[in-house]
Amino acid sequence: MTVQQVLFIVISLVVLGAALFVVTTRNLFRAALMMMLAFFGIAGLFVLLEIGLFAVAQVLIYIGAISILVIFAVMLTRGMQGMVPRNSQAIGAAVTAAIIFAVLLLILGPLRVTIDLARWPVISLFAGNASPREVGGIAWTPADRAIPPVPETYIADFGRALVDLNQYLLPFLLIAFLVDVVLAGAIFIARQRRPAEVIEERRLRAEEDAEEAEAMRRASASPALPEGAVASAVDH
Amino acid sequence: MNPINDLLKILSDFVAGIVSGIFAFSPFLADLVTMGLAAVILCTFAALSFMGLTYVERKVVARIQDRLGPNQAGPFGLLQPIADGIKMFTKEDTTPANADRWVYNLAPLVIAIFALTTYAVLPFAPGVVGTNLNVGVFYLIAIGSGSIVAILMAGWGSNNKYALLGAFRTVAQLVGYEVPMLLNVLPVVMMAGSMSLVDIINKQTTLDGNPGIPFIVFFPLSALVFLISGIAETGRSPFDLLEAESEIVAGFHVEYSGMKFALFFLGEYVNALAVAFVFSTFFLGGYAGPILPPYVWLLLKAALIFFIFMWLRGTLPRIRIDQMHNLNWKFFVPVSIVHLVVVMALMKLFVTDPAQAEAFGGILVAPIVQAVILFVASMTVLLVSLAIAARRARVLRLQEEAILEQRRAENLAAARA
Repeated sequence: MTVQQVLFIVISLVVLGAALFVVTTRNLFRAALMMMLAFFGIAGLFVLLEIGLFAVAQVLIYIGAISILVIFAVMLTRGMQGMVPRNSQAIGAAVTAAIIFAVLLLILGPLRVTIDLARWPVISLFAGNASPREVGGIAWTPADRAIPPVPETYIADFGRALVDLNQYLLPFLLIAFLVDVVLAGAIFIARQRRPAEVIEERRLRAEEDAEEAEAMRRASASPALPEGAVASAVDH
Repeated sequence: MNPINDLLKILSDFVAGIVSGIFAFSPFLADLVTMGLAAVILCTFAALSFMGLTYVERKVVARIQDRLGPNQAGPFGLLQPIADGIKMFTKEDTTPANADRWVYNLAPLVIAIFALTTYAVLPFAPGVVGTNLNVGVFYLIAIGSGSIVAILMAGWGSNNKYALLGAFRTVAQLVGYEVPMLLNVLPVVMMAGSMSLVDIINKQTTLDGNPGIPFIVFFPLSALVFLISGIAETGRSPFDLLEAESEIVAGFHVEYSGMKFALFFLGEYVNALAVAFVFSTFFLGGYAGPILPPYVWLLLKAALIFFIFMWLRGTLPRIRIDQMHNLNWKFFVPVSIVHLVVVMALMKLFVTDPAQAEAFGGILVAPIVQAVILFVASMTVLLVSLAIAARRARVLRLQEEAILEQRRAENLAAARA
């Protein structure tokens, strides 16, 4: 075994163990920490693949941002200390995970599968004239052939692909737009009211309070209350 | 090779030669041992500089505040760090009864690890760098965000409300100040055309026909914002509201004693020194400089930056949490974005590389002219934004006074009625 293989096995075991801990532990905070360990292991896998950019991005985004937010949510949840998280969705979750894993294996794995929709029972009604299609099968490099190295300029290539009209410009712009919208929304929610607004709000609230007080006064003045209610109030 | 200028390089080559001689049967093992040795040396350097810096900082701050500072242990109190170390070692190592033991005990280790891994990519002299990553800048930022995890672990694991409050403040501050830091590294990365720290330094020297102008001349605003964000990132005074002892006792490390507390302390100083090194690398040209050997230049520049840190610590009061957030989100971030756009456009308009001018258009100018143009643009953005901020602050203050006046009038009317 080469060193890379040993490292791959060790890192994969760490990632899998951490992931198992995340879904089995009853301590939410520790689950979040273990999720970070799993993300860190995945960054290690990227390093093994010699794409440092994605490894560092993994650490920056998944550990530095997403996990921190998850931990914040866990900490701000009231009564989190005494709570024992438990629900009855284990079977559903397991089935979903298995399906997603199978689909990923099908798409990304070495297996090539021919799907003939025209012969499927219900779907054939809608796709009766669909021709058989081959799915999956990423080009698998045999063990005796050298894997081509990652090109030196992969960062620049990646950057150019993001702004290339024929590659990923549209998704990139869409994500930029989404981030802008999120920022604007955050600013709108957390904005500081102008003093004029504050005065106006205070005036409105005072008016509402006055109306309410007026209504209550009128209600108490009118003899509409049942006898019992008044009597019990007096008892107290 | 000049034996004085390339001292570090010669020494490291010598050690690497010995190691590869011993492990001649396996180049891989030789590499592994060499890297292990380098890591040990770097960590020792960081830990020793921590000892020295505590002494220097106490002396300097004492001088600023008209005190003597440590003066009992040894001549001029020089043995004070050792006395502190012995004190830390012999203290009782306590663990709160209801603490989350694993998380509580791991937190100091994690913070020290993240602080020390920063040094892996710092170039100390030509050819002397732990590893010349081609994503070095990105790596530094990512590792910096890792210490947030450790602080959250400490705050949560201690099972103490002050520790938790301190951790919340820390995370809000550290996550926030990462944004302007990143936005102000971008001009440097664009100018150097690379994220490798060695390339960034080379771009500021006279190698390969570069003009040899440090980036602080190109982007003074970036340098200023980066420096202040760096202080905030390390949680030093005046941004030390994460451990404000008058408000939340000592923040996230209130429950730690002995060596665990010392590890937090080490993390803080090592991080601050790393920020000083990184600032010198990004904006002051790193080890580049005339006459003196390169490592001396780097140490001098880093020492200058660290002296600014100590100076601020000795003079400024602690800022409030709302001031901290306002400074970041309402001033640094918008100004940095505007600055980034302006600088980006100017760098496309005035190019120094003939090949680039040929391919993408733009006005071909001498590097000095480009530096002057960018300096003027950066200073203009800085001054205009400061003027706008000052005017805005005045308007807000007047409005606040108007509200107070109105409230006073209301109260008066209510009292009369």
